[in-house]
Amino acid sequence: MSGKSPLAIAAGRLRRDKVAMVCLSIVIIFALIAIFASQIASLFNVTTQPGNPSQQLDFINDGMPLKGPPRNGFDPEHPFGIAPKTAKDNLASWLYGARTSMLIATSATVVASLVGIVLGLVSGFVGGAVDKVISFVIDLFLTLPFLLMALVIAPILNERFALTPDRYQTMQVVSLIGILAAFGWMGVARLVRGEVLSLREREFILSARVIGMPTTRIMVKELLPNLVAPIVVAISLMLPAFIAAEAGLAFLGVGITQGESWGQTILLASAYFELYPLYLWEPLLGIVVLVLALNLLGDAIRDAVDPKTRR
Amino acid sequence: MFAYIIKRLISGVIVVILVSMAVFALFWFGPEDPARPICNQQTGNRCTPDRLENFEEQMGYNNGFVSEYAAYAKGIFAGRQMEIGSTQIDCDAPCLGYSHRTFNLVWEELIDRVPATISVAAGGAVLYLLLGVPIGVAAARRRGTLGDKLLVSSFLVISSVPYYLFALLAWLYFTLIWQVPILGDSGYTPLTDNPAKWFGGLLLPWLCLGIFGCTQYTRYTRGAMVETLSEDYIRTAKAKGLKPSTVVYRHGLRSALVPVVTVFGIDLGVLLAGTIFTERIFEIQGIGRWGLQAVQSFDLPVVSATALFGAIIIVISNLIVDVIYSVLDPRVRLS
Amino acid sequence: MKRTKSLAVVAGFAMVTLAACGGDGGGGNAGGNSPSEFINPESDFGKVADAEGPAPEVEGATTGGTITVAIPGDPGPEDLDPANGWSVLGNSIQQALTHRSLVQFRRDQETGAMELVPDLATDLGRPNEDFTEWTFTIKDVNWENGNPITAEEVKYGVERTFDSETFTSGPGQVYSVSNFDCGEGYTGPQDGDCPGITVDGQDITFAMQGPFPDMDFWSTFMAIGPIPLENSEFPAYGRMPLSSGPYKIKEFRVNESLTLEKNPEWDAASDPARHQYADEWVFKFDQDQEKTDQLLLSDSADAQTTVSNGLGATNVAALRDALGDNFIQQTGQCVSYRTPDYTKIDDINIRKAIAWAYDFENITLAGGNIPGVTRIPASTIMPPGMSGRKEYFPDTEQFVYDPEKSKALLAEAGAEGYKLTFVYDDSDAEAKAAAEQEKKGYENAGFTVEMIPYQEDAYALWDDAESPINAKLNLRSVNWCSDWPSASTMIPPLVESGQPYNTSYFSETEVDDRIKEIATLPLEDQAAAWGDLDELIGTKYFPMIPTAYRNDLFGAGSKIGGFTGDAAMSAIYYKDLFVIQ
Repeated sequence: MSGKSPLAIAAGRLRRDKVAMVCLSIVIIFALIAIFASQIASLFNVTTQPGNPSQQLDFINDGMPLKGPPRNGFDPEHPFGIAPKTAKDNLASWLYGARTSMLIATSATVVASLVGIVLGLVSGFVGGAVDKVISFVIDLFLTLPFLLMALVIAPILNERFALTPDRYQTMQVVSLIGILAAFGWMGVARLVRGEVLSLREREFILSARVIGMPTTRIMVKELLPNLVAPIVVAISLMLPAFIAAEAGLAFLGVGITQGESWGQTILLASAYFELYPLYLWEPLLGIVVLVLALNLLGDAIRDAVDPKTRR
Repeated sequence: MFAYIIKRLISGVIVVILVSMAVFALFWFGPEDPARPICNQQTGNRCTPDRLENFEEQMGYNNGFVSEYAAYAKGIFAGRQMEIGSTQIDCDAPCLGYSHRTFNLVWEELIDRVPATISVAAGGAVLYLLLGVPIGVAAARRRGTLGDKLLVSSFLVISSVPYYLFALLAWLYFTLIWQVPILGDSGYTPLTDNPAKWFGGLLLPWLCLGIFGCTQYTRYTRGAMVETLSEDYIRTAKAKGLKPSTVVYRHGLRSALVPVVTVFGIDLGVLLAGTIFTERIFEIQGIGRWGLQAVQSFDLPVVSATALFGAIIIVISNLIVDVIYSVLDPRVRLS
Repeated sequence: MKRTKSLAVVAGFAMVTLAACGGDGGGGNAGGNSPSEFINPESDFGKVADAEGPAPEVEGATTGGTITVAIPGDPGPEDLDPANGWSVLGNSIQQALTHRSLVQFRRDQETGAMELVPDLATDLGRPNEDFTEWTFTIKDVNWENGNPITAEEVKYGVERTFDSETFTSGPGQVYSVSNFDCGEGYTGPQDGDCPGITVDGQDITFAMQGPFPDMDFWSTFMAIGPIPLENSEFPAYGRMPLSSGPYKIKEFRVNESLTLEKNPEWDAASDPARHQYADEWVFKFDQDQEKTDQLLLSDSADAQTTVSNGLGATNVAALRDALGDNFIQQTGQCVSYRTPDYTKIDDINIRKAIAWAYDFENITLAGGNIPGVTRIPASTIMPPGMSGRKEYFPDTEQFVYDPEKSKALLAEAGAEGYKLTFVYDDSDAEAKAAAEQEKKGYENAGFTVEMIPYQEDAYALWDDAESPINAKLNLRSVNWCSDWPSASTMIPPLVESGQPYNTSYFSETEVDDRIKEIATLPLEDQAAAWGDLDELIGTKYFPMIPTAYRNDLFGAGSKIGGFTGDAAMSAIYYKDLFVIQ
């Protein structure tokens, strides 16, 4: 292989793509928000503690906040306004919601890609009975009704962990990550398997075999680098799908009930689409902007690594 | 080809069995007392240990997983006798048991609900193609221009919104705020009762599904078209002086459709297995909503039935996709 | 009577309560603009034993059309078997439209008061001197299939409610079993005849175990009505029970919908309260609250003939303006209580401290209710309007949120930082928000708080002596509506030792003895005696904290006429509804 590696060439292309760079910075900003959610919240002096609805809301009339949006102007104490009914601070909910969404989507993506890559590699490269078994497992997972199973699992978790609230919260997150990952790994596995099948017969792999390189070493050293591009593309498309999926699951009652999440806030806010649109728009814009940025970034990466689409 | 189909069918049957076992097992081993929710509900929370045991016996939870699953499987092929309280009922094959919530035979409820789900899924899937493919082609022909970017990203924005919110707002605006005729009157009427009402009532659900779901078809079609349009044979065709639209649709689209068909087959299967969100928001009495209600009251026979139904549909649709795939693309040989 | 999940928002527990209640002078329809002014019922129900059909016409009533009733957040009854009917929603629909019992309620169109009138029986029942025997004569009317309704069928219907395994949660398990003299251990027709119920032609006589002066009220339940002797096995019969009222069941889809059509066999001349104005009724269960509210606000063609069984707090202001007279604030005989565990929190000062630390307004708002509109601050066990109710305050004045007072009481008890443990439903966002407000309120008043997330039915938990979660709790709750306007359906179930809904596990022989004694007092003294007992319990023991008197909000579209509330059921009064043509 001469000159720059294909990845370096792709990175160079990406750097010249303005849309991609904008999207990348948006994603980085969201990641920073998620990581430093608590610091940002204390900077603005807001918390997710319940408010004082009887003093802060005009409950005799339509229940809207007495200060701040939507009836009045900006309220410096609550830059994003407060929620109806609970008078909770919207900014704090938004920040911690961003953290939850990013945490869940990122972890699920990591789990799904790891499982998918390993199984796809093994399946494609080893072939034979192993391939058949793994393909069968992929078919099985494509057929399992995850939505129904997720719905059944939610109350079971509550029953099992009601007396240990800390573990309950962790288990909710873990099971949600598990469910999303179980939804997503098959695509990666199929993709990797297909790529491996076409690479397997190529000269550099065959020669590695001839010189007696161990199988695992061939997989890690020779195959994997050539798979980076399709994997990066797959991951960049999986991440936004998971963020959107978390919000959808919240509607069905599957998901995070302990702590904040964008999905939960959107669910609560959907009733206020006319009365208090800002309340709905805050988490919704968060999701739309992030998902859009990730999708466009994924497209750009694909274009960058696949020179054919550029011609 | 025939041998291949047989092989796939066998593996499909095993998949279906494993899926239904998995759902059964989840009910069996997940909660501490799987019969308790039903017992609480049926006794108005007077679920004494004695009564709990009664319910466990009636619902088979005290029989052990293996023997009860065997009885369930046998019922599907040979029918079985079942007891509800003090009444005996004949549950003819295919017997899926009776709902612990409504006491109806699950098979009857299933048959009752299938048409609604098929109606929703089929219409939605058709719109995936009708919207997704032309838009993808249009974008591909204008690739790199502002028009391309606008088309692609506007559909991306829509599909970034949580689907239920999209559908809920669509319902609110079309039905109540703008009161659009036809679109504003959504709901399910059986096709055989009144075809016009059937169509009108499902138009909005279809559009919601279609507009929301066509995004990935747009992207697939666009990607495949961009690739195909740059192939040599297309250039040759253009050079021969064929009309651009002929080139695009006759030559380009055909090969671009191959990946689209794969995705479509899987999507149709998933849709048929239950359009939970759509059915919930538009109040369509289909499989998805049925499964949702059953899960909420821990009604195992119904949940099993929906899982079984979904698994069978998905297995069959995957098989059909593979067959069509081999027809569309002669390079793929089934083995 | 039962109320299902989302209607019971105080701490979000499935509400198993009993409805039918005190006479409501104003029918609860306080009209348009003053949300916090409710007309409190002052009088008992009137009894009009000689009322005859047909029912007085409703002013302006027209026939025809379909009435759609949207029921947000309530899945509705699981079956329609009369023996199982013990929910506010199911009974209010079935008793008004499809199922006749011996006696029924009628709303006086002039005064809005509810009154007892005959239904299948020719009068309100003829008791003997000491109310140990009641005789009714059944009118000559038909089932929907044209067969005559016989006294024998009424007897069978009543006997059927004794079956504790089939109709475990039916009202017959409480009122029939404890009053009718069918012999020890009688569990329904499979045990043979009940000797205490005798039939002679169209006459049916019930022998009681003791005096039962409220038999006429109990006879308004479907459980005291006819069931055909053939083809009436549960569960099949519960899906499609035969109708005797003005409408019959066209289709019933559990948790989804109930469609009714006219029953041509119903004889208007035999029925002093029901009408047959609309052609069809469609009840839609488990509706989305927001969708229902928006539908009514839109005044679309569909909305004009739609009735909503519950209006959401989000849109109350807009709905009140939009619906005008078809916006109803219905007072009910329903009360919510917080119940400290009497066996654990044994110092009355701590219980009073909890009452002062209960942040009523914030909890109510966060729970999706409106203080002063759907939840009224409470003080006594008996709700306003119940005969004999005495206005008193358990601790000198009306409880309001007062953390300082609470801290002082805790200090007096030597229990600073006392730990309260309760459950909340974390799958219900409003219930969770309300619980968080409650926790905050207690903590600011000097308590420490542990909240346990619990998504199953809380009443079942509290009834479960084995549960490790229940063992940890020291603060529970209960929501209760009376079954009829006597404290005998309110106080005993809540405070008597060992009663299932006595969730504070309160037990004092003084109170138990007095409850037994009151039943033996002369009828005219009983009401006042209940009021005195209420005060005694509240001031001397204070085992339960009444947190709110509950009201409902109903709405209907502009083409619905005759729209009023049923104070007896705390529900919509369906009998007078019509579509304005």
